[in-house]
Amino acid sequence: MEWNLVLPELIVTGTGLGVLLLDLFLTGGGRRAAGYTGLAGLAAALVAALRLMPAAGRGELAGPFWQGMVVGDQFAVLFKVLFLAVGLVVLMLAVDFVERRRMPAGEFTALILFAVLGMMLMAGSRDLIVIYLGLETTAVASYVLAGLLRDDVRSGEAAIKYFLTGALASAVILFGMSLVFGGLGSTGLPNASALAEALAGAGPSAAPAVPSPLLLAVGLVLLVAGFGFKVALVPFHFWAPDAYEGAPTPVTAFFSVGPKAAAFAAILRVFAPFLVMVPVSGVEGKALALLPSIFAVLAVLTMTVGNLVALVQRNIKRMLAYSSIAHAGYILVGLAVATPRGLAAVTYYLLAYAAMNLGAFAVVIWLNNHGTGDEVDDYVGLSQRAPLAAAALVVAFISLIGIPPTAGFFGKFYLFMAAVEANMAWLAVLMVVNTAISVGYYYAVVRNMYLQPAAEPGARAAGPVPATPLVGTALSVTLVAVLALGLLFEPLARLAGLACGGL
Amino acid sequence: MIDVQYAVVLGVLLFGVGLFGALRSTNAVRILMCIELMLNAVNLNFVAFARMLPQGSAAGQVFAIFVMAVAAAEAAVGLAIILQVVRQRGVAHVDRINLLKG
Repeated sequence: MEWNLVLPELIVTGTGLGVLLLDLFLTGGGRRAAGYTGLAGLAAALVAALRLMPAAGRGELAGPFWQGMVVGDQFAVLFKVLFLAVGLVVLMLAVDFVERRRMPAGEFTALILFAVLGMMLMAGSRDLIVIYLGLETTAVASYVLAGLLRDDVRSGEAAIKYFLTGALASAVILFGMSLVFGGLGSTGLPNASALAEALAGAGPSAAPAVPSPLLLAVGLVLLVAGFGFKVALVPFHFWAPDAYEGAPTPVTAFFSVGPKAAAFAAILRVFAPFLVMVPVSGVEGKALALLPSIFAVLAVLTMTVGNLVALVQRNIKRMLAYSSIAHAGYILVGLAVATPRGLAAVTYYLLAYAAMNLGAFAVVIWLNNHGTGDEVDDYVGLSQRAPLAAAALVVAFISLIGIPPTAGFFGKFYLFMAAVEANMAWLAVLMVVNTAISVGYYYAVVRNMYLQPAAEPGARAAGPVPATPLVGTALSVTLVAVLALGLLFEPLARLAGLACGGL
Repeated sequence: MIDVQYAVVLGVLLFGVGLFGALRSTNAVRILMCIELMLNAVNLNFVAFARMLPQGSAAGQVFAIFVMAVAAAEAAVGLAIILQVVRQRGVAHVDRINLLKG
């Protein structure tokens, strides 16, 4: 049973190493084989992860494996499935792009696989050491991915900015972890009920189970700042637009969904017990009770600044970067309300967000493969040139805005309800106001595509744009997921609730 | 035996020096060195706490070793990225790496 639990990780690791080895023997057009091998490995791992779902649902995998370094609760398995699906779609989008831009295919594929591995480790552990190792595995692979367009000066710039802020964030997270370790007395994170017992001093051991709640509170605040860097919360967001704009577009798609969702999974793992626990008396209890307020302030700042700055962007990758900052703000609302339902809403929103954001990026990559630029003005008259691409982008944007019956609507609705139920209606109202602001920049692109006639035929980009099979498949998968996640809202919300119940 | 407080205070100071340097420097290599300083403060904390705690003391020391290993990997990747930028631009100063607005 133990080895079954980490089978997805083992497959991904094996495939990554295999691709690096295989790459030595590939030349010319055969380099695509590296991408195909990676796709096969990810698909196999996805099947392995899906097969764990029933057992995880029955709670058979929750037991601590390898001294609690690995857990297989529903939360872990759900997020592993998400990460593998994200890796699969990103790799499908990337194969043509990598070939066209002459990026090293073997390295690219292996790095995506290793980043996915790190993300799975982050979600699948209750121990600070493994969460840290997963975080760094993802981060180090991501730094290299950002700079993989070696002939593009902007790619190098994106890599150096991403690296310097990422390394700084890791150091802050680590310092927070060291204080949490001092405060908790172990690197293992408690779940909500164990934490409440420990803080009350009613643990099984005679000694106080939490040596120093104050250290714990300070450490958690540092962790908020460090993870804030990683998921680009305002005011820790300044690196994100530059890194997103300069990185190769499939890598940008990956950054905006993969490592971000993984960091949120880690945030849920670390903070959920402290958010939903019973109040503790004393000054330390008050310090811990401040956490939801910190998240609320960050949520308001992040969604407002993200949406307002997105309004003035002319580059679509940069616009989507600010849009993804704003979406991180919406997700924080679920943490700020600090109820089990809020946490479940966060989980559901991460699934919806992954589908719709990858859908939008799929169209950008599709068009970019045919020479369309990344400026919003390059999309003028697109409905005539590429009606399918334009329609697909509209569907993705409808979901990103949050219009029914798409997944984006249900995600926002769920967060909204959680906020209202927790008597934080003001936060819900701010969310709706922000959604209204966001219509502005999404609609600007739609207007360019449908209402602006192309200045002169073939002025900016020429000819129709047929989709290659891989990009077409990836785009279809994401768009179907956007609609299916919406239609399957009830069972998925229940699943998210069960998954977060074990935190 | 030295009290754990002294070690933690030293750790906080070291972390502060590193953070200050990382935020104030403009040379990418110097920022990287300051981040290493912050990681050393983290290691000091871990080892100090591990000594203080009755149980789970091994975990802190193990964590410190992992931090060192990962920091080495991070520095290798970071220096490679800095080298690439220096080859393209001829500078390693972050305030002159400003092609992307922001």
